[in-house]
Amino acid sequence: MLKRISAPITTQMAALMAALFLCGFRPFFLFAAASAVLAIGAWGGFLLGAWLLPEMAGGPLVWHAHEMVLGFALAAVVGFVVTAVPEFTGSAGVASARVKWMAVAWLAARVGALAGGVAGTALAAVATLALLMVLVTAVAPALWHGAERRHVSFLWGLLGLLLSTAGFYVEALGGGDPMRWLHAAIGILMVLIVIALSRISMRIVNGALELAGETGREYLARPPRRNLAVFAITLYTALEFFLPLHPVAGWVALAAAAALFNLLNDWFVGRVLFGRWVFMLQGVYWLMAAGYALIGWAILGGGLPPGAGRHLLTIGALGLAVFVVMNIAGRVHAGLEPDPRPWVPIAAAMLVVAAVARVFIYLPGGGTALFGAVLLWVLPFGLVVIRFWPLYSRPRADGRGGCEGIGD
Amino acid sequence: MTRLWPGRALAYLWSGWGAIASLLLFMAAWEWASGFHGELVLPDPRSALATLGGLLGSGAAGPELAITARRALLGFVFAVAVGSTLGLAAGLSMTASMMSRPIITVLLGTPPVAWLVLALLWFGSGDGTPVFTVFVACVPVIFAGAMQGARTLDGQLRDMASVFRLPPAMRLFDLYLPHVVSYLFPAWISALGISWKVVVMAELLSTSDGVGAALAVSRSHLDTAATLAWIVAVVGLLLAVEYLLLEPVKRMVERWRLTQ
Repeated sequence: MLKRISAPITTQMAALMAALFLCGFRPFFLFAAASAVLAIGAWGGFLLGAWLLPEMAGGPLVWHAHEMVLGFALAAVVGFVVTAVPEFTGSAGVASARVKWMAVAWLAARVGALAGGVAGTALAAVATLALLMVLVTAVAPALWHGAERRHVSFLWGLLGLLLSTAGFYVEALGGGDPMRWLHAAIGILMVLIVIALSRISMRIVNGALELAGETGREYLARPPRRNLAVFAITLYTALEFFLPLHPVAGWVALAAAAALFNLLNDWFVGRVLFGRWVFMLQGVYWLMAAGYALIGWAILGGGLPPGAGRHLLTIGALGLAVFVVMNIAGRVHAGLEPDPRPWVPIAAAMLVVAAVARVFIYLPGGGTALFGAVLLWVLPFGLVVIRFWPLYSRPRADGRGGCEGIGD
Repeated sequence: MTRLWPGRALAYLWSGWGAIASLLLFMAAWEWASGFHGELVLPDPRSALATLGGLLGSGAAGPELAITARRALLGFVFAVAVGSTLGLAAGLSMTASMMSRPIITVLLGTPPVAWLVLALLWFGSGDGTPVFTVFVACVPVIFAGAMQGARTLDGQLRDMASVFRLPPAMRLFDLYLPHVVSYLFPAWISALGISWKVVVMAELLSTSDGVGAALAVSRSHLDTAATLAWIVAVVGLLLAVEYLLLEPVKRMVERWRLTQ
C-alpha cells in the first residue's frame, strides 16, 4: 500500500530533479532569487526588531553581507559561469553530478549561516570553499585551453573570489573582523560583471541594431576601455583592503568611476540604446560608476559614508546585472525568448529605486527609506522566483535538452 | 555614419572620461607621494585644490591669470602671424626653404631663457619681455610647420587646378588651405602649449604681476600648497583650451581626411 502511493511521488520527485538540473543555471538562479528575498527579509525583520540574526564574527552586519555576497551573489555567479563558460569556449557543459554537488554545498552553507556560531560558520566555510573549488576545477580547463585564452579573465575572477572567501572564513573563525574580505569580494564581483557584460552586451546590442535595421552601425565592447576600468576597480579593491579609507583609495575610486563612464563611450549607438535590454545593461555601468564616485567622494571628505556608494554597487549594479542576466540567459537557455512582458522593466526600475533609496537613508529624515529599499529589492526577486519556478521545474517546452539556446 | 552635431559634441565630451580617469589615477599617485614627505615638500592634491579654490574665491587668482593669458596670447598671435606667413612664403620656393632650414635649427636650439635675458635688456620688466620671449620661442615651431605644409602641396593637383582653370578663390579654399591647415594646426597647438609654459617662466624672472610672479612670491614664502595651486591652474587652463577649443576645431578642419 505504502509502496503504491510513494511510487508516483518518487517519480514526480525524479522528474522535478531532472528538470531542475537540466542545466546548471536552473537551480542556481532559483537559489539566488530565493536567497535575495529571504536574506533581505531576514535583515529587514532584524532592523525592525522582529527577531535576532544568527551569530557570526563581526556581528549582524557581517551576517547580512555574508548572505548577500556568498549566498545571493555567489549563487548567481555559479549559475552564470556553469552556463556561459561552456557556451563562450565551445566546451562540454558542466556535468549534472557536479552541479548537484555544488547545489548541496550551497544549501549546506545556508544551513551553516542559519545555525550561526563557530560550528555554523565552520560548516558554511567548508561548504562554500568546496563549492568554489568544484566550480573552478569544472571550468578552469575550458578557460585555460580555450582559443587564445580569450576568456581566461573569468578564471582570475573566480580565483580571486576563492581567495577572498577563504580569507573571510579564516578571519571569521579566528575571531578577527572579516568584513574587509567581503568588501574585496564585492570588488571582484564588479570586475566579473564588467567582463561578463562585455560579452553579453555584444550580442544584445548588435541584435538590437540588426532588429532596428541599422546595418551601418556595429557595437564593439573595446578591450582597452574595459581593461582600464578593470584595472581601476582592481586597484581600488586592493587599496580598500590594505589602506581602508586612505585618500589614495578615494582618488582611485573616482578614477574607477571615470573609467566606467568611459566604458559607456562604446554605447553611443543611437536609438537602440533605449530598447529595454540595452537600456538595462547600460544601467548597470551607470550604477557602478555612481557607486564608485560616491565612495571616492566619501573617502575624500564628502558628506555620505562609503556604505552609500557600496550599496549602489551591490543593490544597484550587482542586483540589476543579476536580474538582467537571469532574464536573458535564464530564458534563452531554457528555450524561450527573453520575456517581453512589462514586469521586467518595472522590476528593474524597482531595483534602481531601491539602490537610490539605500543612499537616501544617510540624509536627514531618510531612515524610513531603508524599508522602501528592502521592499523594492524583495519584490523583483520574488517575482523572479514566481515567474521562473514553473519554467525550471518542468522539462523544456521546446523538447531540447541541457543548456542549448534557442538558435543552437 | 552621419550624426547631428549635438550628438557628436556629446560623444566628443564623453570621450574625455578616459583622460579624466588617467588624471585621477595621477592624483592618487600624487596623494601617495605626498604621504612620504611633509606638507612643506609636497602637499596632497586636496590642499592644493583647496588653496586654488581659496585663491579663485578671494578674487586673487583671476586678474593674475588674465594678465598671464594676455601676454601668452599676444606673443602667440604675433608668432602665428609672422611664423605662418614667412613659413608659407619660404615653402613656396625651394631656395628659400633650403636657406631657412639652418636658421630654424638655430632658433629651435636656443633656449627660451637665453632670449629672456636679451629681452630683459631690450624691453625691461614690462609686458614686452614675456611677450617677446613667447614670440621668439613659438615662431620657429610655426615656421617649420607652415614651410612643411607649403612644400608638400601635391604638384599634380596644382597642375590639374590650372588645367581646369579653377578660380583663385576656389584654389585657395578647396585645394591649398585644407592641406596647409592640416600642417599648420598641429604646429599652432604645440606653439600654444609652448607659449603658456614660456610665459610663466618669463614672468617668474622678469615681472611683478601674472602667474609667474605669483609663483615667485609663493616660492619665497615657502608656500608649496600655493605653488602647486598655481601650477594646477596653469595646467588646467591649458588642458581646457586644448581639449575644449583646439581639438574640436582640429577635428573639424581635418574631417576631409576621414571622408577620403
